[in-house]
Amino acid sequence: MTEGRRGGDLSRYVLRRLVGAIPLVIGISSIVFFVVHLAPGDPARLLLPPGGGDQDVIDQIRRNLGLDQPLHIQYVKWLGSFFTGNFGYSFSQGAPVRAVLANTFPNTLLLSGFALAVAFGVGIVVGTIQAVRQYSAADSILSVVLLFFYSMPGFWLALMLVLMLSYQARNIWEWPIWFPASAMVSSDFGDLSSVGRLADRLWHLVLPATALSLSLAAGIARYMRGSMLEVIRQDYVRTARSKGLPERLVIFKHALRNALSPIITMVGVYIPMVFSGTVIIESVFAWPGMGRMIFDAIGARDYPLVVAGTFFFALTVVLANLLADVLYAVADPRIRYESDV
Amino acid sequence: MKNLLLVFVTASVVACGGSEAPRNVSSDPFCQRVIPAVDAWLADARIAHPTPDDDRYGGTVVVGTNGEIADGMNAAVAADYNATQHHQFVNLMTLIDFDDEYEPRGYLAESWEFAEDMTSVTFRIRQDVFWHDGEQTDAHDVAFTYLAVTNPETAFPNAAFWSHYVPGEAGVEVLDDFTVRIRMRPHSMPLDPFRTVGILPEHLLGDVPPSELKQHPFGSQCPVGNGPFVFYTHTAQDRWVFEANPAFPEELGGRPFVNRYVYRAIPEQTTLLAELLTGGIDVYVQPTPEQAQNVLDAEQLDLRRFVGRSYMYVGWNARLPKLSDPRVRTALGMGVDRQSLVDGTLGGYGRIANSGVPPFHFAFDADLESPVSYDPAGARALLEEAGWVDRDGDGVRENAAGEPLEIVLKYNPHHLRQAIAEVMQAQLSEVGVAITPQSVEFTTLIDQIASTRRDFEGVVMGWNAEFRLDDTDLFRSDRIDQPYAFSGTQNPTLDRLIDALSTAVDEDVSRALWVEYQRAIMEEQPYTYFYFRDRLVGVNRRLQGVEMDVRGEWTTVKDWYIDPASP
Repeated sequence: MTEGRRGGDLSRYVLRRLVGAIPLVIGISSIVFFVVHLAPGDPARLLLPPGGGDQDVIDQIRRNLGLDQPLHIQYVKWLGSFFTGNFGYSFSQGAPVRAVLANTFPNTLLLSGFALAVAFGVGIVVGTIQAVRQYSAADSILSVVLLFFYSMPGFWLALMLVLMLSYQARNIWEWPIWFPASAMVSSDFGDLSSVGRLADRLWHLVLPATALSLSLAAGIARYMRGSMLEVIRQDYVRTARSKGLPERLVIFKHALRNALSPIITMVGVYIPMVFSGTVIIESVFAWPGMGRMIFDAIGARDYPLVVAGTFFFALTVVLANLLADVLYAVADPRIRYESDV
Repeated sequence: MKNLLLVFVTASVVACGGSEAPRNVSSDPFCQRVIPAVDAWLADARIAHPTPDDDRYGGTVVVGTNGEIADGMNAAVAADYNATQHHQFVNLMTLIDFDDEYEPRGYLAESWEFAEDMTSVTFRIRQDVFWHDGEQTDAHDVAFTYLAVTNPETAFPNAAFWSHYVPGEAGVEVLDDFTVRIRMRPHSMPLDPFRTVGILPEHLLGDVPPSELKQHPFGSQCPVGNGPFVFYTHTAQDRWVFEANPAFPEELGGRPFVNRYVYRAIPEQTTLLAELLTGGIDVYVQPTPEQAQNVLDAEQLDLRRFVGRSYMYVGWNARLPKLSDPRVRTALGMGVDRQSLVDGTLGGYGRIANSGVPPFHFAFDADLESPVSYDPAGARALLEEAGWVDRDGDGVRENAAGEPLEIVLKYNPHHLRQAIAEVMQAQLSEVGVAITPQSVEFTTLIDQIASTRRDFEGVVMGWNAEFRLDDTDLFRSDRIDQPYAFSGTQNPTLDRLIDALSTAVDEDVSRALWVEYQRAIMEEQPYTYFYFRDRLVGVNRRLQGVEMDVRGEWTTVKDWYIDPASP
């Protein structure tokens, strides 16, 4: 098969998957719409404090928020506004849903992207070391450490990082480097130079990204170890050694590149995992992201925000899976997607 | 691959605002119009009112709590505590406030006068207060605000405030640009609503239909106040940033000392404590009792403590036959050692409550003896008198029909409420009552107790008391089908007292009635009251001028300053 034909098949495959994703994502959002509306709890009642008034006031709040109409009418209105890009009004945030998502989604993307980068970076390095030093003390120690981080609940890990690398590091051990316990930027961010602002953002990213990435890195390291072990046993690697190439060249130029291919395709699989982990991490570190936003919106029965947020999460998962398939095909020339199904 | 990663990381960081100050300016046309006007006015005001030459001026103060200002700065649609505190003391102004003796004093109103028959109050508005876009605050703003909050279409969430006021156009009259008259029926503490409701700008919100005020961007995206701090930016679930108003009237204290006031919402309390200890925030509102010792142990921190407004109770569904007898409800209270809960779960930072009348209330009677002091023997005797006897020897009492005294006690996942439920289960088992705690998600729980289904037997709840109390919606008989009358109380004595209290004008008469009301509540026991929780606040010692009491943590925020000698 020529490269051109293969490229064309892949493009058609991607297009077909994207077109198929639309009804899928709308279907998911519709299910969420009905599920969250059918859940017990009245958001209007939550907005009224005790002694704040009687049922008339609650009914007026419901009318003002458009919650008094029959469910199927609300659904039709929601569907219509959705297609025009108007996702409604978030009554728990006091702002249009579009604005809320525009402010929070990039923050979650930033955190998740950074965490993924760290997870893959650390996982690849550690897995390579373990494979190259198979059965050594380093391999055993790293296995135990990885198992520890893989097993620890994310919430606990996050709190330990706050206590140790923020409070203890600054106040008790008086380390020269410590990290802030929360937020994306410092309170005096606006007074910093451009370089200072970049540094400030990175400084705030360290702890939450570490908390989010550690257990993922552990899993990636195990995969990388296995992939690397498989590759370094191949004939061409033996041949490279036989030719007298330095071991470093054998590992990093010949073996690593081939071992990385299946690992990179896991990016698409790990994206949804990272996103689901942001709910807890964003809460612990007060990171103003979408995971925490949606969790709070569910508690407040903020229907428009819950449905729109779920829509974007679903879309992200669909695109992530598609990315995984594309990367897989790019990495392995033997993979071919049917173009005429 | 390395290069790709580096590009990705840097692009992510920079693209997400790494090169711009994090100021969220909404794209809403209203915000696009008002924000530049505010910025322009503020720039001019800084020139016209230069910062005094005093070391105390300057710096940023950061307050952290575990909740957002959920309802925003629109006083016509806001009810949550953090929001009303910011209306009263930060961004807006109320007509009056309380001094440190809790006596009313003028704030936006420089004076007021009651009609002799107490059917109206006339306010004279200060003439040196300006909205943060330059418009002068006047009586028309007061009239607009009054019309908005008394209009049913607005759905003002504290509608009970206005139950004795004449609503609508008939209730308010602008006598001149700085004089406004409000009409009402004679009642107690008539100034209280004007202490809590911030005045809104008529020139910005006057054309907004009342039913659309809740969704207007003024609330959370671009509020324009007239208070000591000017809104700068709000990032949802992160922070509100305000800047000092250089033109705030000198008579009211003038420009705040700090340049910038930041409110941060940090949901995890361990993180809040870490931020306070590491200097990330200067004030931590309401640390847990367990964290109080950490604050006390830190030499750079102070722990402020004052009587709080929130109290915890168990509400009983008196509609159910097994809970309809006041003797049973009284016995349930007698069988629980409430002091042990104050000591064990609050670390002693609280005090026993015997009614919803808080310790700071002018008519609170600390000497009133409650029938529900811890007395298991007394509880057993009372239950037997009410006909509940352990007839089959299983440790649980039954009535004459053989029905066991088993009660499901619901609570939302919260460690203090769970503690109450579990302690009640343990201690009431000793007097022959079987309590089954049941954790229910909060929104669902509210639905269960407040809907007409009343799907509960007992519920652990918390309320906030106010300076002006009105239990009409909670206990008056004719409100029995309303959402918050979930106890199902029908007591003619309470009805009479509630009506008399709300209309009593004379303070001595009112005080006597309140004492009688507290006794009546103790006899009726619609709730088993547990405790009033002390308010705790961790404050960094570098912050001076901080006075806090039951008026609120933000009462003196415009007087806070950073000690010039602090590092």
